[in-house]
Amino acid sequence: MTRVFLVDDHEVVRRGIAGIIDAEPDLEVVGEAATVRQTLPRVHATRPDVVVLDVRLPDGNGVDLCRAIRSELPEVQCLMLTAHDDDQASYGAVLAGAAGYVLKDIRGQSLLESIRRVARGEKLLRQGVSAQVVADLSAPSGAPAPDLTLRERQVLELIAEGLTNRQIGERLDLAEKTVKNYVSGLLAKLGMERRTQAAVYGASADRRP
Amino acid sequence: MVSEEILAFPDEPRSELERTIEELVERAQRVLATQGRLRSLLRASRAVVQQLDIETVLERIVEAAVELVDAEYGALGVIAPDGHLERFIHIGMPESEVRLMAHLPEGHGLLGAVVEEGRPIRLDRIEGDPRSAGFPAHHPHMDGFLGVPVRVRDQVFGNLYLTNPRRGAFTQEDEELVTSLAATAGIAIENARLYDESRRRQRWSAALAEVTAALLSEDAEESVDSLGVVADRVAALVDASLVCLVTPLEDGAELLRVGVARGEGAEQVLGRVFEPHGTIVGQAWELGRAVASETGSPADLDWVPALGPVVGVPLTGFGQRLGVLALARPVGAPRFSDADLDMASEFASQASVAIELARARADSSQLQLVEDRSRIARDLHDRVIQRLFAAGLTLQGIAGTLRAPAQERVLEQVDAIDTAISEIRTAVFALTTRGPARASLRHRVLDVVSELGEALPSPPRVTFSGPVDLLVRDGLAEDVVAVVRESLSNVARHARAQHCEVDVAVDDAVVVTITDDGVGAHGSTRSSGTANLAVRARERGGTYEIGTGASGRGTRVRWSAPLPPAAGGGT
Ligand SMILES: Nc1ncnc2c1ncn2[C@@H]1O[C@H](COP(=O)(O)OP(=O)(O)OP(=O)(O)O)[C@@H](O)[C@H]1O
Ligand SMILES: [Mg+2]
Repeated sequence: MTRVFLVDDHEVVRRGIAGIIDAEPDLEVVGEAATVRQTLPRVHATRPDVVVLDVRLPDGNGVDLCRAIRSELPEVQCLMLTAHDDDQASYGAVLAGAAGYVLKDIRGQSLLESIRRVARGEKLLRQGVSAQVVADLSAPSGAPAPDLTLRERQVLELIAEGLTNRQIGERLDLAEKTVKNYVSGLLAKLGMERRTQAAVYGASADRRP
Repeated sequence: MVSEEILAFPDEPRSELERTIEELVERAQRVLATQGRLRSLLRASRAVVQQLDIETVLERIVEAAVELVDAEYGALGVIAPDGHLERFIHIGMPESEVRLMAHLPEGHGLLGAVVEEGRPIRLDRIEGDPRSAGFPAHHPHMDGFLGVPVRVRDQVFGNLYLTNPRRGAFTQEDEELVTSLAATAGIAIENARLYDESRRRQRWSAALAEVTAALLSEDAEESVDSLGVVADRVAALVDASLVCLVTPLEDGAELLRVGVARGEGAEQVLGRVFEPHGTIVGQAWELGRAVASETGSPADLDWVPALGPVVGVPLTGFGQRLGVLALARPVGAPRFSDADLDMASEFASQASVAIELARARADSSQLQLVEDRSRIARDLHDRVIQRLFAAGLTLQGIAGTLRAPAQERVLEQVDAIDTAISEIRTAVFALTTRGPARASLRHRVLDVVSELGEALPSPPRVTFSGPVDLLVRDGLAEDVVAVVRESLSNVARHARAQHCEVDVAVDDAVVVTITDDGVGAHGSTRSSGTANLAVRARERGGTYEIGTGASGRGTRVRWSAPLPPAAGGGT
């Protein structure tokens, strides 16, 4: 039985998705949260296999939240559920260290299949997507560059490799907290310090050659 | 002593034998009687179970119980959730006598004791029992008493009361038989309830599908009166004589206004403005839950025309209060039952979804007129997509509970919502980003579309799926732009089409599809334009097809090429 945790600020959305998931014999919803603040303690308490989380939350962004979950509980897989388009969602998922993303549409999407695949440990992001994101963000040809420091570029590359904050800290011999600060600074430079929907635009469009 | 013993001796076995025979005969008779009674229990049970209408079931239960134990009077008291007797279905008492009594039993005294104790009570004489509270005036005299609880799914539904056994007193066996009957009765009641529920659901589903279809109708005129449709359907479902939809006069204002009214006296109340305080509607509005009254009016007490029982049900969508649905019956009509309230609430919450959806649609078309593009994009993204998604999920959930024709209608709406979401995504993208000269592929496609779109009767519909900008780069992006440009110019020059759609999808390959509803490209000889596209496909190991559209009309162009293996290798 795959245990799923839902994070979305709309109750209607949670109820709708929970209905779809609970109708499957091999999937069950073990917990829900509406805010960033509620999520971590509840995820700790319920130990789901997969967290399905909205990128846009009232008290923070899903990218930071996802990184926090992955860092504290690396065995928990994250699937971003987003109202963004594919390009924006890809950037978001790479930076968040999520296993993949699912767009917010009802019948076209393969939410259930994605949850199952992610629970088996598969990565849904196409090969090459992470590398392209790093390439675009760190070496933009022609567009205004975000001016990353060496450390930030290193952190970005390790993010794209799928490492958690804790693992990045070990690799670069930094305290996890320091890595967290680098990640925040990086996100801020990429325009992601505000609510993510504005942010990911920055990443996918404005910085784009 | 001895003689007595001797004398007694022959008597003993005889009397023993006699007693044994007597016992045997008695037992045989009892078996026969019991069998007969078991048979009548079976018959009674069957009579009860065969019924589906709840009212008939309840009457049959009382009849069967009275017959089974041969009692003069019998009754079934239905217990309300608060523990009081909600209904009292009785037989044996002539109507003329019932009318003389001040009131029917209210569940005090002995009747209440059965409720409280939750197990059978059997008495030879009611009078003198400490639990008896005496009889109301004009109540017929009653002697023997048997009260047995009726449970439905482990919950006490009510009690069977039997009095004045014609055979003198109720026996242990009577108690057992009635207990068995009560068990059957519980199942019958549950069946009837389920049946009732399923019929109710069916009616409700059909009504909901109708409302949803009306609210989502692309036809503006039909959707304008969507609230009227809601009012009509609810009125029919819960048997109300007047239905009003009350909405706030304006944002933040303290006043409520009757925006839609249907039924008796509708003309008189339509457009009325009132203060919410002290009214049922006001309470429903403020508390955010359904509120019912025995009498009184949805608004104020000197409401004209006078109304009987009233309920107010709030309409809320996404935490926002949209209005209140007020239902009224004429003076003297039965009050709204809990089932009515449930149904109205459920209906209201589903109608709210549909209303939200209609609003989201209206928003998305209205927003196109506003100047501030990035704000529009944010609104579209933050509110409209979220709302559509949530509404779509809810509708899909509803579809699961519906039967064939209604289910298809709702699912069609869900598909329409998905299409709308995907179009809005493209709109958001087009609105937020006006990039530099060497723009992303999506920008370049949109630019070509708007450039050539002027030659077409209506703006083409453009959708993207997959991370197009991330994965389609360089030469491949050039090819995609060329395919869109040539195909759209062909549509403009040759097709005489009304509508045209462009879709660019990327997965392991990039697939460009352009469809139109024009005259079609049957057997036309390939010239330089299409030939060029075929070459571009071949050089990349892809395919190019031009043929008839899926509906058998128009033209469909499909161009595809695999992604280069090292996509993302840093350009
Ligand atoms: N969407 C369409 N609807 C109807 N007919 C079409 C459509 N697309 C192509 N055709 C037909 O196919 C023919 C071949 O198209 P093609 O693009 O190769 O040549 P062309 O448009 O006539 O000339 P060129 O593209 O070289 O300027 C067209 O002349 C036209 O008759
Ligand atoms: Mg041509």
